[in-house]
Amino acid sequence: MGRTVMIVDDALFMRNILRGIVLEKGYIVVSEAASGIEAMKKLHSHHPDIILLDIILPDSNGLDLLQSITATSPESKVVICSGIGQEQVIQKALELGAKAFIQKPFTPEKVVEVLESLVG
Amino acid sequence: MDMSQYRDLFVSEARDHLSAFGELIVRLEDVSGDQAAINELFRHAHSLKGMAATMGYDPIARLAHIMEDQLSHVRNGEIPLVPSLADLLLEGADALAGMVLQVESDSASIAESVGLIERLSAFDPGTEKTSARAASPPPEPVPSDPSAAVSHQFRQSDSLKSIRIKTETLDQLVNITGELITNRHRLAECARQSGLSTLDEPMQQLAALLRDLRDVVFKARMVPFAFIAERFPRLVRDLARKQGKEVAFHIEGKNIELDRGVLEEIAEALVHILRNAVDHGMDSPDERVAAGKSYNGEISLIVARDKDHVDIAVSDDGRGMDPERLKAKALENGVITAEQAGAMTNQEALMLICSPGFSTAATVSDISGRGVGMDAVRSAVHSLGGVLSIHSQVGTGSRIVLRLPITVSIIQVLMVRCGMFEVAFPVNVVNRTMELMREDIVDDAGQKAVLLDGVPVPVRSLNRLLGQPMVSGGAAGIVPAVICEVGGRQIAFITDRLLGQQEIFVRPLTTPLSFLRGISGATVTGDGRVIFVIDAASLA
Repeated sequence: MGRTVMIVDDALFMRNILRGIVLEKGYIVVSEAASGIEAMKKLHSHHPDIILLDIILPDSNGLDLLQSITATSPESKVVICSGIGQEQVIQKALELGAKAFIQKPFTPEKVVEVLESLVG
Repeated sequence: MDMSQYRDLFVSEARDHLSAFGELIVRLEDVSGDQAAINELFRHAHSLKGMAATMGYDPIARLAHIMEDQLSHVRNGEIPLVPSLADLLLEGADALAGMVLQVESDSASIAESVGLIERLSAFDPGTEKTSARAASPPPEPVPSDPSAAVSHQFRQSDSLKSIRIKTETLDQLVNITGELITNRHRLAECARQSGLSTLDEPMQQLAALLRDLRDVVFKARMVPFAFIAERFPRLVRDLARKQGKEVAFHIEGKNIELDRGVLEEIAEALVHILRNAVDHGMDSPDERVAAGKSYNGEISLIVARDKDHVDIAVSDDGRGMDPERLKAKALENGVITAEQAGAMTNQEALMLICSPGFSTAATVSDISGRGVGMDAVRSAVHSLGGVLSIHSQVGTGSRIVLRLPITVSIIQVLMVRCGMFEVAFPVNVVNRTMELMREDIVDDAGQKAVLLDGVPVPVRSLNRLLGQPMVSGGAAGIVPAVICEVGGRQIAFITDRLLGQQEIFVRPLTTPLSFLRGISGATVTGDGRVIFVIDAASLA
């Protein structure tokens, strides 16, 4: 299993933090997107091993986007990132094929732990 | 992991979320049931919560969390977004903005807003007082429709295509550009005197480049009107609610750009005008219904570009102003004499609300308050070389129009010779120039006037106003005149000679020169002379 990562989050702030964490651990960030539309566009040119996906995005229903992603890039493992209060959505996402979830706020250790468990 | 490196980004993104949040809330109250907007509100609160929690700013995260909670109830159709909830959410956004400010200023700890969190979590729409607004049906819960969400506008954080720059730096750029233009005129003058034709071509190049530079520098200073308009919907809403008035407010032309200096100068003036429109212009729902008008009043703020000007118009469909009553009030306050009142047109009577003494009347009546701050509004507009006009119809409403130049410091002027001076009239106050015959100037009730299109226009001698020898009128008895539009009426300034139009770089005057009446700024010409810019309004 490779170590390429795509980060989908509408907040540049969040993308920067996640990028900082995964780069430090030797992962390669191949792509970033701030919206569902952008994510789908970029997914056609990259098929990252791992996609860190914020479930609440400005233009998309997170669950629909998840389904589009898994259909377009079935080999990518999707990790849902979401704040508390979204437990039902997370449950549904796991049923729809997400491999793991990271709850915001997260610690760098938690992110690394989840990634390591996936690339194992 | 060191989180402090992300702090600035947190502050700037948090602000974006909060300002979008505030704007949406106010809009939602008008268009209840806009599911896409409710989703977006929810998302702003949610994102802010996540960001704050990641940074360890727990008080921000807690408050944002409770706001997100209430919004999820609204989203699910469990409760309507009643005005009292909107109030609480706006209060929350304000509190969050305060906390973000504390983060920015490096406060050791962020003050928790316990009371607000309690009020938000205890909020129960059932306690909302029955009002006409609450009686309207609650927003229809619409099933989440992804296509609707996609069509909804969202902002992209495109952080690399623009950078932040200190406004002082922009001001310096304008100053340097202005000085360069002045210097070019000097250089051209030197070249002309020394008769070096080899300089012609490079001089033309220089002129063209300087025009480009000027345009780019001005473009950099341009800011969309939205920059100051963001707070207006909230202002109108809060005022109207406080007074039990029902007002629908809308803004058009938010994307039209003006010089930052113009916007800064005009922001407070617009607050005054909007405040007056709600406080004094707008009638109460009962009065409206009794007068056969719609229950809801309407106030609009429309920004429109017209060549080198921008017109900003604030209209209301409220009570309107009665020129006769305004005159009576002005007479009572000693602002005008009975004779002046008799000679006044309706247009001039409406302008009385801008007279400094007018609004000081102690009596509280629907018209006395109209003048609050209007003298300040008028001077702000005039200091920018703009024109203020007021239109009103009793019973149907009022409209106040600010005609402003798009940029301030580099303007087109009409140069005029007046005695030993050359002075400049900003072209946007000049209606036209003409040559009057001595015998055209007649006596109109003790004042000199000239008939233009059948209307008597007062004639003022610029020479007398500036303490210069009287206009000679030349051999043929022809007197040049500059016809200016001031406060909705025309004034003819007669002077010695019209010299032509020119672009100048205006510098503001500092004390003691700023005390000079009738002058709003100055410029230095290519050969080093100082030319004053005439403030026609204060000479009328």
